[in-house]
Amino acid sequence: MKAVGARLPRYDGVAHVTGRTVFVDDVRVPGTLWVKALRSPVHHADITRLDTSAAETMKGVHAVVTWQDVPLLEYGHLSALGIPADEPLLAKDEVRYKGQPIAIVAAEDEETAMAAVAAMKLDLQEKPALFDVRKAFDADAPVVHQWGNWYPHFEAEMDRRQIRKGDIDRAFADADVIVQGVYRPAAIEHVPVETQSCQVVPEANGRLTIYSCTQALYFSLGVVAAHLQVPLNRLKVVGGTVGGGFGGKVDTATETMCCLLAQKSGRPVRWRWTREEEFLCSSTRAPWHMEIADAVTEDGWILGRKMLTLHDSGAYARFSPYGLTKHSFHHTGAYTIPNLHFDGYVVFTNRVPTTAMRGFGVTSVSFATETHVSRIAEVLGVDPWEIRLKNANRIGDTSPNGVAYADPSTVPVVKALADGVGAKLAPNLQAMTPAAREGDLLPEHLVAQIGNPEDH
Amino acid sequence: MNLTVNGVAHEVESGPLTSLLDVLREELAITSPKAGCEQGGCGACTVLVDGVARRSCLTPVASVQGTEITTVEGLGSPSDLSPLQQAFTHHYAAQCGFCTSGMMLAAQAYIDGGGSDGHEAIQEAIAGHVCRCTGYVKIIDAIAAVARGDEFDLTVTASSAGMVNLGGAV
Amino acid sequence: MTQATEVLVPTSPDEAAAAFGDGSGVTVIGGGTIVMPEITYGRLKVGKALLLGKAGLSGVSRNGGTVTIGAATPIADLVDLPPPLGPCAANVADGEIRAQATLGGNVCAGPGPDAPRGDLQGPLLALDATARSTGPGGERSEPLESFLDDRAGRLLLDVSFGEPAAGAFAALDYPHTHEYTVLAVSGARGADGAVRLAATGLADHARTLSGDPDAAASEVRLGDDALASGWYRQQVLPVLVRRVLADLEEAR
Repeated sequence: MKAVGARLPRYDGVAHVTGRTVFVDDVRVPGTLWVKALRSPVHHADITRLDTSAAETMKGVHAVVTWQDVPLLEYGHLSALGIPADEPLLAKDEVRYKGQPIAIVAAEDEETAMAAVAAMKLDLQEKPALFDVRKAFDADAPVVHQWGNWYPHFEAEMDRRQIRKGDIDRAFADADVIVQGVYRPAAIEHVPVETQSCQVVPEANGRLTIYSCTQALYFSLGVVAAHLQVPLNRLKVVGGTVGGGFGGKVDTATETMCCLLAQKSGRPVRWRWTREEEFLCSSTRAPWHMEIADAVTEDGWILGRKMLTLHDSGAYARFSPYGLTKHSFHHTGAYTIPNLHFDGYVVFTNRVPTTAMRGFGVTSVSFATETHVSRIAEVLGVDPWEIRLKNANRIGDTSPNGVAYADPSTVPVVKALADGVGAKLAPNLQAMTPAAREGDLLPEHLVAQIGNPEDH
Repeated sequence: MNLTVNGVAHEVESGPLTSLLDVLREELAITSPKAGCEQGGCGACTVLVDGVARRSCLTPVASVQGTEITTVEGLGSPSDLSPLQQAFTHHYAAQCGFCTSGMMLAAQAYIDGGGSDGHEAIQEAIAGHVCRCTGYVKIIDAIAAVARGDEFDLTVTASSAGMVNLGGAV
Repeated sequence: MTQATEVLVPTSPDEAAAAFGDGSGVTVIGGGTIVMPEITYGRLKVGKALLLGKAGLSGVSRNGGTVTIGAATPIADLVDLPPPLGPCAANVADGEIRAQATLGGNVCAGPGPDAPRGDLQGPLLALDATARSTGPGGERSEPLESFLDDRAGRLLLDVSFGEPAAGAFAALDYPHTHEYTVLAVSGARGADGAVRLAATGLADHARTLSGDPDAAASEVRLGDDALASGWYRQQVLPVLVRRVLADLEEAR
């Protein structure tokens, strides 16, 4: 722990304060072209005609790229993990969210690139759109995705992430009270001050140098190589300067398209999204819909939890199956609930695809769980500190996915919080540690779990 | 059109309604002012025009003909840091660094105008600047330190490792 | 970037009026804070631009009990004026924007794409200001409200008003420096004792109010936009009216 509290040099500190840091949009290569995109003006439509010929012949335009130019049109962000791909790099015959890229252009300057986009002819047959995950399962809901309205490819081709632990029916039969709640945190835009930006330089040896603001350099490398169908050694990705990301720069939003334009034009290209594009078209933190029913005893033990989660993935899957999986593993928050029945769905809507943001999948359920635990305390008339400490994760307890906790932090964190706000804890609670449960804090319903995760 | 940027006179060829931001970044390749929003909302493009902090994205270059422009490159260099640059280094006031240039020029105008080390006054002075890393506490600490006239020992924080920009340079 | 744009930089009010002519095809640029993003984003093509920065239209002057403010006066220069104008000016954006944006640009701004604009219209209506403008048919002075109703093709030169006996300003504070006012009410008691109120943040430009808090919401059009719903504004408007009336009473 030599670094904590110590003064250390920041490798980029002096460069930042003297204006010497070269962010992606600051790279200057002579002859660089500007990139702009034709984006869907509507939430959901069939593309009946796309004619880019007027843009292609415009003075100052060097390349126009549509789906036809992409060697591998669909490649998912999680394809390398065996998750099937669903999202075309550029829309082919259907657009599923407002702002979805359809064609891209590289031109001498920004003005010409904008004029070229304006000259593209796009005919759309608009279709009903779906925005509310709760309506996705209705018989008359618009169908928004080739796989239906929810992701069907979890392990064993299950259409949901499901957790079954303990004996949920018995927990609900034994409960004194059932406490229910619905929690719906909204989408959040990451708003990095540096918008999505990328430059690609075609080198004389045939390689492409990619200046990228990605937070996930090797991810981007793999995604670009797959779409382009080239070996990794044809690509050199230069990263390391991220003007704010917060999860929003995990998606490979610009790199592949810039590479295609650089290849086609033979010129360096640069793409900097406008602030409007960043707000309207970049991925956001997902909105979630969470329904919780907890089986509780009068004295504040949580015996079981039934939970339904609808994760709004937006128009494509991207990282959502991963986010929902993390969510399911953490769906009891900082607390141990021995009997669980969890179903979670990745639901498609005609919104911008959603992605990682700080604690992907977990912050949502932490919000829901903390609010719900306070609600239980209110319903029971039990001290909210007591209910948290009683049900806290302890050494030897197991997580929803069966991992035994070796060093859970709930107890010290809750005690520190109580101390921080000046709350007086009862002596038995004040004396608590994360040590394995015993005595009063080893209620019958948890006995079987302690030290034997295999039982669950 | 003529502009003096960081003491160097330039003849500018861009159109008269080109934003000062575009002139600096695209024509003169002075890239420390950032195009964070191009609508005056983020403050990342702020420069000093004759000593006054201004959003360069909202400024048609024709309106600043003949003026002296200062960007953060003009405050000092890695080997000769200005007091504000020292303070930002010492207090770790730059996180991702993208808002830093604009933030520092707003701060420089505040200091040059005799601003105090009072946090409320400093907050007001940087009110137009978004740090999405939310590093405001350290930024305000750094500005207050300069307003107070603090001196900084930078033997560690600005060591040679700090002089090298490891990312993205051509 | 190439722009086939003619830029006129008049150095006196007369030159500005002559350069403006009948206003056809002219884009007037005061501080640039509203126009520049439109140009940058390619939504506005400018053939002829009139830059007012050096036209001698800037400054606050007093003559007897009359205050006159040039159209090109930066909003920052109004911040220290008494209420309702001063506090309203101080509520506009942040210091850098206020130093660049002008009174004329603010007063003449049409409704924005996502929200009402023109914060300063409210206090100026409450102050019963007169707008002096030029354009087809030459110079014209008229009450601000009639200028706002018919300002197409007019170049605002200045606004003037009698110094009020008392003034008050109440706004919904919006926790972001760059947003336009969600809703604001300005009030002034003139030297003759008459009280005038006006609201900004409407579906329309600012409008005068009768001063009856309960009638206020029915006297103006309140819209839904990116900042707030019409319903929310309906609930808040009477509250702001009461606050302004109370402040005016207290200043008696």
